[in-house]
Amino acid sequence: MLSVSLSSYLTLAAILFAISIAGIFLNRKNVIVLLMCVELMLLAANINFIAFSHYLNDSAGQVFVFFILTVAAAEAAIGLAILVVLFRNRRSINVDQLNEMKG
Amino acid sequence: MTLEALNYLTAWPEIFLLTMACIVLVVDVFISDDKRDFSYYLSQLALLGTFAMVMMVQVDGREVAFNNMFVQDALSVVLKSFILALSFAAFVYSRDYLKDRNIFKGEYYVLGLFAVLGMMLMVSANNLLMIYLGLELLSLCLYAMVAFNRDNGNASEAAMKYFVLGAIASGMLLYGMSILYGLSGSLFLSDITVAISQADDSRIGMVFALVFILVALAFKLGAVPFHMWVPDVYQGSPTAVTVFIGTAPKLAGFAMIMRLLVEAMGDLQADWQQMLIILSVLSMATGNIIAIAQTNIKRMLAYSTISHVGFILLGILAGSNEAYAAAMFYTISYAVMSLGAFGIIMLLARKGFEAEEIDDFKGLNQRSPWFAFLMLVLMLSMAGVPPTVGFWAKLAVLKMVVQMDMVWLALVAVFFSIIGVFYYLRIIKVMYFDEIADNQPLSCGRDMQITLSSNALLVLALGLYPAGLMSLCLSVFA
Amino acid sequence: MTFIDFNFYLFATLLIVAALGVITARNPVHSALWLVLSFFASSALWILLEAEFLAIALVLVYVGAVMVLFLFVVMMLDINVEQMRKGFVRYLPIGALVALVLAAQMIWIVGPVGPDVLGDESLQQSVRHAADYSNTKELGRILYTEYVLPFEIAAVILLVAIVAAIALTLRRRPATKYQTPANQVKVKRNDRLRIVKMDAEAKE
Repeated sequence: MLSVSLSSYLTLAAILFAISIAGIFLNRKNVIVLLMCVELMLLAANINFIAFSHYLNDSAGQVFVFFILTVAAAEAAIGLAILVVLFRNRRSINVDQLNEMKG
Repeated sequence: MTLEALNYLTAWPEIFLLTMACIVLVVDVFISDDKRDFSYYLSQLALLGTFAMVMMVQVDGREVAFNNMFVQDALSVVLKSFILALSFAAFVYSRDYLKDRNIFKGEYYVLGLFAVLGMMLMVSANNLLMIYLGLELLSLCLYAMVAFNRDNGNASEAAMKYFVLGAIASGMLLYGMSILYGLSGSLFLSDITVAISQADDSRIGMVFALVFILVALAFKLGAVPFHMWVPDVYQGSPTAVTVFIGTAPKLAGFAMIMRLLVEAMGDLQADWQQMLIILSVLSMATGNIIAIAQTNIKRMLAYSTISHVGFILLGILAGSNEAYAAAMFYTISYAVMSLGAFGIIMLLARKGFEAEEIDDFKGLNQRSPWFAFLMLVLMLSMAGVPPTVGFWAKLAVLKMVVQMDMVWLALVAVFFSIIGVFYYLRIIKVMYFDEIADNQPLSCGRDMQITLSSNALLVLALGLYPAGLMSLCLSVFA
Repeated sequence: MTFIDFNFYLFATLLIVAALGVITARNPVHSALWLVLSFFASSALWILLEAEFLAIALVLVYVGAVMVLFLFVVMMLDINVEQMRKGFVRYLPIGALVALVLAAQMIWIVGPVGPDVLGDESLQQSVRHAADYSNTKELGRILYTEYVLPFEIAAVILLVAIVAAIALTLRRRPATKYQTPANQVKVKRNDRLRIVKMDAEAKE
């Protein structure tokens, strides 16, 4: 149990994933923290990829992580741009006040 | 490695589209606002050229390129040609709409072209990485397009919801893919197929990965209970963007399901079938029932989309080649119908006025009998009334479900479709029997008139002769 | 317990603590800083897994660029922290319950107890490369050969991010005054200067 194996890394990633889901539940009012929880979720997937890549001795997993990092950076840029536009229109990013549309 | 070894000529349509998108991006910077039409024509030229190239692709069986990353087969050729045609029509419909709202900008077309590129790559993906990148290219363009009308609070609210839920779905997808990669040792779909068929101890791990991937797929397609974003995005986005989101990406989503569930994880069919039954029944129920209560037509069509997604999943879960063909027939005909419906909404809209409420359709027959007739055809088709294509689509899917000995499921589907007929008929009633509320004459360009008319007449024509499209779909899975 | 094991437990604990910090911090700025810490901790773990290039990239790209962007936006927008926290306590029990159940299920599948998902012998051995093995070189080699198509698409995605971010946030204010260097250069003495001939006037 104490010696580190593949399943130690997978367990760590699973815990991280669960924490990020809990974060999405708890911070549903705050869009910025929601985006940070998504980053944690991606980090969990990245740890999985890298751990598998190491134990399989196959570089494909690391290449995948390389692309996830690239895409996540692009995603953050667009997400924050939308956030700024939203703030300009509504003077708030409180999810509570995002209820103009209903039904 | 040599350049020839990449076999890059197979991806010629994509390369052309990418080049053209970059040209539009650069040209648009240098032209003044009153010549903005030039960007529009250039984008349409790009789509037409790509369409012609896709048509010229000769595929016998399947051809791979770029070290097995990219595959050109019958499925990808058919879906790509429809994606391009639908996007072309969506661009035609949206031109006047964008002009009237002072958002007629080159970025709309640049992002639209990149989104089409993303869809084409998704359709041709042969590797988990390619599926992910194609999906993200599509989604990132769509997020930005939803927020495109920067001064509209509803649009930016819709974009934010779409973005957050889309990002969570991507996270789920990646977690599932990481487990799938680890247990099969490869990112290639064909290797994953082999690994799953040989799996014994690790099979439960594969099912574990499947759950995450399926949740992500349900999010992206908008199946209940992961549909929260659909109504807000359909209602909040400018209609020019809704028409784009509501049509071609459905085909890309269908391709993603085919590649991931059927091609890569076909051996886990017994597992995903159960999950799809739940998603499909919930989608048909929620979509059809909540749609009745809507007064906003874009929101109503959003719930109708959710119910149609339920039907598409029904075809996929039936799980035979013929059933996949039926699901594909349904997806294509649904995309064509919804393209026409949003086209009519944009036709009724004018400067400073959005025809978003169902009441705005009052007495449409007196204002323009022809367009009222087109809307009649489209609504009947969505409801699944013969002789429109919607009827044949529903019939084909239901036949497959019955063949799988799931008669109860077919009965549930029929029940909810009958509920669904109500709200489509309400639109028809409002158009033909209510007093006219809005006397403004309808005006639109000749190009829009022709495209919209042929769009709706295509729905009718396919309903009268469904055999052509059906045999095309069947040939894909033969 | 070997040195590697010790480091794994050290940084794994740090990572979990930091992740909990992200989701429970009162102030979004503190959340962002906790997130930076969790990126540092996982980058250390990636070095244990011999993924040196990505570990560095995580720190440089993520902490250096993405997190700075986050902090920038958090501080630029004037956010009412108290209002954001409403409902936090109410959702705490359900959130914690969901997380615990989810974590338990996930660990049962992939963890050391439960079904033997990783039964494959090849997955049990940690692969240690020789000292002259270059992770960066290996990644670079396959990135530009086998993965050339994804690489191009990633470039397109970054281009889309640029176009989208500019299209959404760039504002030209009509009142802003611009300089036109071309006109400034072209200007002649006569455009600006007028020499008036007049007689000298006596001082009063």
